[in-house]
Amino acid sequence: MITVENLSFSYSKSPFISGMSFSVSEGEIFGFLGPSGAGKSTLQKILIGMLRTYQGSCIVNGVECKNRTKHFYENIGVDFEFSTMYEKLTAKENLQFFSSLYKKQPRPVDVLLKMVGLEQDADKRVADYSKGMKSRLNFIKALLHDPPLLCLDEPTSGLDPANSRMMKNMILEEKAKGKTILLTTHNMQDAAELCDRVAFIVNGKICALDSPHNLIMSKGAAAVTYTWIENGEHSASCSLEQISSDERLKSLIAENRLQSIHSSEPTLNDIFMDITGRTLL
Amino acid sequence: MRAIRLSFFQMIAVLRRDMMLLVSCLAPILAGFFFRFAIPLLETALTDSFHITSIISPCYELIDLLFAMLPSTMFCFVSAMVSLEERDEKTVSYLFITPLGKTGYLFARFGIPAVIAFFATAILLSVFKLTALSPLTILLLAAGGTLQGMIVALLVLTFSSNKLEGMAVAKLSTLTILGAVTPFFIQSDTQYVTSPLPSFWIGKAILEDVPLYMLPAFVLSAMWIYFLLKRYLGKIQEKIN
Repeated sequence: MITVENLSFSYSKSPFISGMSFSVSEGEIFGFLGPSGAGKSTLQKILIGMLRTYQGSCIVNGVECKNRTKHFYENIGVDFEFSTMYEKLTAKENLQFFSSLYKKQPRPVDVLLKMVGLEQDADKRVADYSKGMKSRLNFIKALLHDPPLLCLDEPTSGLDPANSRMMKNMILEEKAKGKTILLTTHNMQDAAELCDRVAFIVNGKICALDSPHNLIMSKGAAAVTYTWIENGEHSASCSLEQISSDERLKSLIAENRLQSIHSSEPTLNDIFMDITGRTLL
Repeated sequence: MRAIRLSFFQMIAVLRRDMMLLVSCLAPILAGFFFRFAIPLLETALTDSFHITSIISPCYELIDLLFAMLPSTMFCFVSAMVSLEERDEKTVSYLFITPLGKTGYLFARFGIPAVIAFFATAILLSVFKLTALSPLTILLLAAGGTLQGMIVALLVLTFSSNKLEGMAVAKLSTLTILGAVTPFFIQSDTQYVTSPLPSFWIGKAILEDVPLYMLPAFVLSAMWIYFLLKRYLGKIQEKIN
């Protein structure tokens, strides 16, 4: 679906993106993770044909992005982080207009609005929408023409936990339909939950690329922390791999004296910090 | 073509929600009634009061000339304001990545309004003209006026970054129309100071009744439009970056 080889791009004389190579298969959710200014959005703009002065090769849906035609956009749905709606028009009017630009039979606007819980506000002007409502509306705009490739930029940004959950479920539903999804985010939790593979991007380069599970496992086994009472509360830790050789833990279990025990796996964020030496915030 | 047409109708839908822009579109008709009926009445009243044979009537040609530029300037100004709003709302960036594309967008916002402006100018000028303009002159004036309107629209888009700035720039941009006035009031070679303005040559064509003067007007308009369009597209690309 997407093949990028030796991609380089520059806004000035110094390179902004350099030597990027990766591929994304059909039906995959692929995440771009990185701090602000790392090059994630620029990469997305190249992939959707907005920036065409790059070097290397960037093939999306069989088309070299710099040679894209208008037809290219029949098969791509883009959800920007910011609202791209006519504020004076209602949500329904906006969706009807944008869906009319495509040759494909559009998905029913009312159904899409209902899916994101906006059916009651369909005839409200977008200017009167909250940030979260605009986010949801922006998302379904990308789905209007039922494209096989979705490019989502921070789709859960500004959403409350319930709506964020709903949005993530919708993304997984689209994946289940066989769609390829590019997810640009700095929310590690979302990436770990949704993505089949993620690429860590820092300073315009891919620092690591693998599935979230493999990346987490690469750090080593989870740690087990336990507490017990013996002249006050005490705690100790051991790695999950060596749990059977921890004599103190074995005796505490045998004597039924454990106060608490829990394991803690490294998060994708820990891995990101380990690999890049940077945080996402 | 379908996407271009739909995008143009979308602009009309936006206009319907904006009274200021809607009235701006109708302003040439109101101005036409004023020029055609109120000015001759005023002329009669003034000449009767001052017992002079003519006061305003020597300027009727100039009034026709300025009126010829009004519909296109207003239509193109309205398009520019809608486009600025779309830039503020970031819908432009989104429209560029739909089958409409950048070229389609430019056609919908400037091409179609310019064509409409051309026909509207030709019709309104035929109805409201104060002097005996030939059909050929009317068509040439409509074409010159349309190009002038496009220049005003592109000046607004190139030198302003939001609607508020757009209003201010629009007022300044309409000064480019004043080139048409120069040959009427300055007989010496000093008049050529305004010769880089296409409107100067339109004014000269009407005043001296030499249609050939429309040629430099068209060439200059094309040059202005080319350079402004290039700057405007550069500005849009900066926004995308």
